[in-house]
Amino acid sequence: MRFVPSFLARAGRFLAALAGLLLLPGCDLNFWRMDGHQSTMIAEGPVARSQLSLFYVTCWVTLIIFILVGGVLAYTMWRFRARTEADERAEPPPQSHGNPLVEISLIGASVLALVIIAVPTLTAIWYTHDVPEAEKKNAYEVTATGHQWWFKFEYPSEQAAVDTAGAKTPLVTGNELVIPAGRPVRINVRTVDVIHSFWVPKLGGKIDMIPNRANFFWLQADKPGYFWGQCAEYCGDSHAVMRFRVIALDEKDFAAWKEKQLALARSVAAPAAPVAAAAPVAALRAFKTNEVGVSEAFDRNPLEAWRAKQAVEKDENPALVAQGRELFATKTCNACHAVRGHGAMGVQGPDLTHFGARTTIGAGLIENNPEQLRRWIRDPESVKPGNKMAKAYRDNKITLSDAEQVALTAYLLSLK
Amino acid sequence: MDTTAKTAYLTKEDAVPAQPKLLAHPTAKTGLMSWLTTVDHKRIGFLYGVFALFFFLVGGVEALLIRAQLMYPNGTVLSAQMYNTMFTMHGTTMIFLAVMPLSAAFFNYIMPLQIGARDVAFPRLNAFSLWTFVAGAIVLNLGWIGPIFGVEGHNAPDVGWYGYSPLTSRQFTPGHSVDYWVMGLQLLGVASIAASLNFIVTIINMRAPGMTMMRLPVFTWMTLVTAFLIVLSFPAITIALVELMMDRNFGTVFFEVSGGGMPILWQHLFWVFGHPEVYILILPAMGIISEILPTFSRKPLFGYPIVVFSGACIGFLGFAVWSHHMFTTGMGTVATAAFALATMAIAVPTGVKIFNWIGTMWGGRLMMRTPMMFALGFVWMFMIGGFSGVMHSAAPADTQQSDSYFVIAHFHYVLIGGSIFALLAGIHYWFPLMFGRKVSEFWGKLSFWIIFVGFNVTFFPMHFLGLNGMPRRTFTYDPNLGWNTPNYIASIGAFVLGLGIAVYFAVMIYTYYKGEKVGRDPWDGRTLEWSIPNPPPEYNFRVVPTVHDRDAFWYEKNHREQIAAERAVAEKAEEAHGGIHMPHGSIWPLVASSGLLIAGVGSTAFEAKWDVPGIHWKLGLSLLGGLVTLVGIYFWSLEGNEGYHLHLDKDGKPVKGHGDDHGHGKH
Repeated sequence: MRFVPSFLARAGRFLAALAGLLLLPGCDLNFWRMDGHQSTMIAEGPVARSQLSLFYVTCWVTLIIFILVGGVLAYTMWRFRARTEADERAEPPPQSHGNPLVEISLIGASVLALVIIAVPTLTAIWYTHDVPEAEKKNAYEVTATGHQWWFKFEYPSEQAAVDTAGAKTPLVTGNELVIPAGRPVRINVRTVDVIHSFWVPKLGGKIDMIPNRANFFWLQADKPGYFWGQCAEYCGDSHAVMRFRVIALDEKDFAAWKEKQLALARSVAAPAAPVAAAAPVAALRAFKTNEVGVSEAFDRNPLEAWRAKQAVEKDENPALVAQGRELFATKTCNACHAVRGHGAMGVQGPDLTHFGARTTIGAGLIENNPEQLRRWIRDPESVKPGNKMAKAYRDNKITLSDAEQVALTAYLLSLK
Repeated sequence: MDTTAKTAYLTKEDAVPAQPKLLAHPTAKTGLMSWLTTVDHKRIGFLYGVFALFFFLVGGVEALLIRAQLMYPNGTVLSAQMYNTMFTMHGTTMIFLAVMPLSAAFFNYIMPLQIGARDVAFPRLNAFSLWTFVAGAIVLNLGWIGPIFGVEGHNAPDVGWYGYSPLTSRQFTPGHSVDYWVMGLQLLGVASIAASLNFIVTIINMRAPGMTMMRLPVFTWMTLVTAFLIVLSFPAITIALVELMMDRNFGTVFFEVSGGGMPILWQHLFWVFGHPEVYILILPAMGIISEILPTFSRKPLFGYPIVVFSGACIGFLGFAVWSHHMFTTGMGTVATAAFALATMAIAVPTGVKIFNWIGTMWGGRLMMRTPMMFALGFVWMFMIGGFSGVMHSAAPADTQQSDSYFVIAHFHYVLIGGSIFALLAGIHYWFPLMFGRKVSEFWGKLSFWIIFVGFNVTFFPMHFLGLNGMPRRTFTYDPNLGWNTPNYIASIGAFVLGLGIAVYFAVMIYTYYKGEKVGRDPWDGRTLEWSIPNPPPEYNFRVVPTVHDRDAFWYEKNHREQIAAERAVAEKAEEAHGGIHMPHGSIWPLVASSGLLIAGVGSTAFEAKWDVPGIHWKLGLSLLGGLVTLVGIYFWSLEGNEGYHLHLDKDGKPVKGHGDDHGHGKH
């Protein structure tokens, strides 16, 4: 055999060495474990579990067939290859045309293998379609609505206060869906513009939000947890940064959270005496385009981080909060955002009534802390290309000075 | 060819009146005009190949930019909008402007040779398909004038190759990008349908005597199935595109949500086309592999009838599985179950092909030459892609995988590991036939191994990415999701793959000019295309062959005396009928296509509002283009289709001054 082995071996060694060299600098070689925040290989609820076990069935069946067929193919290639040029030029082998018995049996075997996949597939289709009949009474209902590029979550069964006179409206939150753990949650998915898709891998597969189509879906979290989700249908410029979170809480925590959410936005009493002119505010550091806005510290225990976020900020400055609240109206933020009890009724953007208690900004994109929040309100376009807030800034010529950014940040973070 | 048809030509020949000057048939055999007026299926095939390879490189550059952006988390190589444009144009380009035309190149070049024909049934329609394809490709790429020359509002489309409504509406995508995309695809559809009708008629009517349907080479069979798929599936996308065009330009509400339109309708129409399209991309590849494996195993194809039948079966079932692209659209339990089962069913005929390819090699004498390497690479990679495809048929599991990188891994295994590997194998395999030169084994194998390694390094890690939750069509990702390493590896792999492709084409270009010359039939081929000299003469077959067996040329090589006697009789008979009948070249298909180009540009590149001058350009150019097309078709029908006759000397050269002059407009 003149050409293959030695040459193959040399090329293979060279490429392996090259790949090794390139991979050395700081790479996590455990990626095959697939244990990321959005892993589909870690099921934390019955829907995801049903999908994952079906995946394993398909995986094993195809893997076994691959080993069998691949083994025969590899053997054929090795056994019947021409070993020398003389071998190539030798008399052609017998010109056989096939063997119907072998062919029919192989077809039969393939059909059988597919039946092994088909049965659990059908079972899972019906199981994952809707909340099981026995659990329907216990199911909790929410409506998720896709917007370019954020998610609105509505709780049709929860009536939240709109004003002190006692008017009520269904509870609405944005980008962070809080659900009771251990209870099936039926999610109606809707959209106001293009097609989006709701996907929280650890809790279940995706379901598309399609205009003029009343889709629904269910999921359940086994136990309290903090889950990463992301829009899974391309929806325009900032599709990649249209993310969200699902927070599952036990019954007690969920009730406590609900009570807080149903109330009007928190008001911080402005200091009685006028404050002396504050020291000039330093400009925010420059951020690189598309710079990371999440921290490793947060990832260590995201649920704890979420809990911590429910408490009032330690360095809250009532004077700044009051100034920020005023700016929220004068800069026309309230035209698009609602803050129940603070006279802001906008519906185009996410409801901010309890914004300070959320862990992320910009649809699960960056962490909700003073620095990142200021980055976002200073120049939303650089964080999320094409978003409507940036367009509103341009159309209405809205600019925010450093001091105004700080005040607005303080106000927004006070909305616990 | 049957002889009655030929007599009809003969009796007509003397009665043809003198042609007016305008209708004089072009006679150039070399130079630019000869290419613009050619109706020779081999030249048209070659041109298809050249254009396809050009766009293959364009699509490849787009892919490398995508991988550069994703090499590191929070990448900044491309803006969000530019990244979205890249993946849209990468998909559209690779499918419509690279793989399909490259398959068409082989259909054109090889299929008539395999059935013993001297050209396709409608040579001028064939030229029209080619030039309309070029027009469509130009319109589709018009949007690049925006990013390159900074023209506001003229961008390349960024709505995905599948253009899901309502993102494609004027409200969400103003500007001209989607208009270019719609019109480009419409023109490509015209080209594809015209070409396919031509292939169908050719295969059914122009087979050499004795070439029964069950003796057709498998590649020709797959050409036939693919042509039917194109003819039956393109109308669906044509309807969808017309509706979208109406929505965007004339205020209809097919998909317009505010008017009660149904975006889901687009998905059904698109995938009724889109899924057969997948088989349009892979069946020609399977045909090529079914030619290469027997040749290099020196054995006939194992189970020919069942391979053919499974190919046709895939074609039929391909129309029954479109909604498996829509498992996440909330179709309900019954529809989901039906499409899941149909999808599993299609795995059976696909598996049959793999079994039969292995059966073909079993007991053979495998010559491990470059085409065989690519063919074996195809079988392995297609198997992996096929298995991940079976995984997707389990609908509930698919809701986790759909629109994730797992899907990207799957279809690149099928489309690169499958289609592209087979097409690259086909180029190597038929290169000696087309150009009379052979690629060096060393360089051919080197390019194979670089491509093979680069491909796997790029796409295998994407399985992990997808299962680890990375959605597709995302221009950025955060570093805390466990996606950094696979993305980095994939990007490195992509550049290795790019290097492999570069080596492949450098070697091809070198071989075209300087490669080792080879004689007739260098691979000990089995089918009729190897029975002719290389490069093939314009008339293909000196004598139309009579076919006695499935592997027609293999039979000829083993029955030389019988064939020689038959040939002598046939040649005399043909000469008595006036010689070799050839079609005239014609400029009118090019004229008709350029009218479509003018109308295509006019109707998309200008603003439609009544209060701006753009409307005059839009209307004016559209009407002008329509007129040019009509003129082209009018003269095309006036110039007649009588053709001319060639007489050959004993070396196969046309004899001057005898016979071949009476066709040049001097009747």
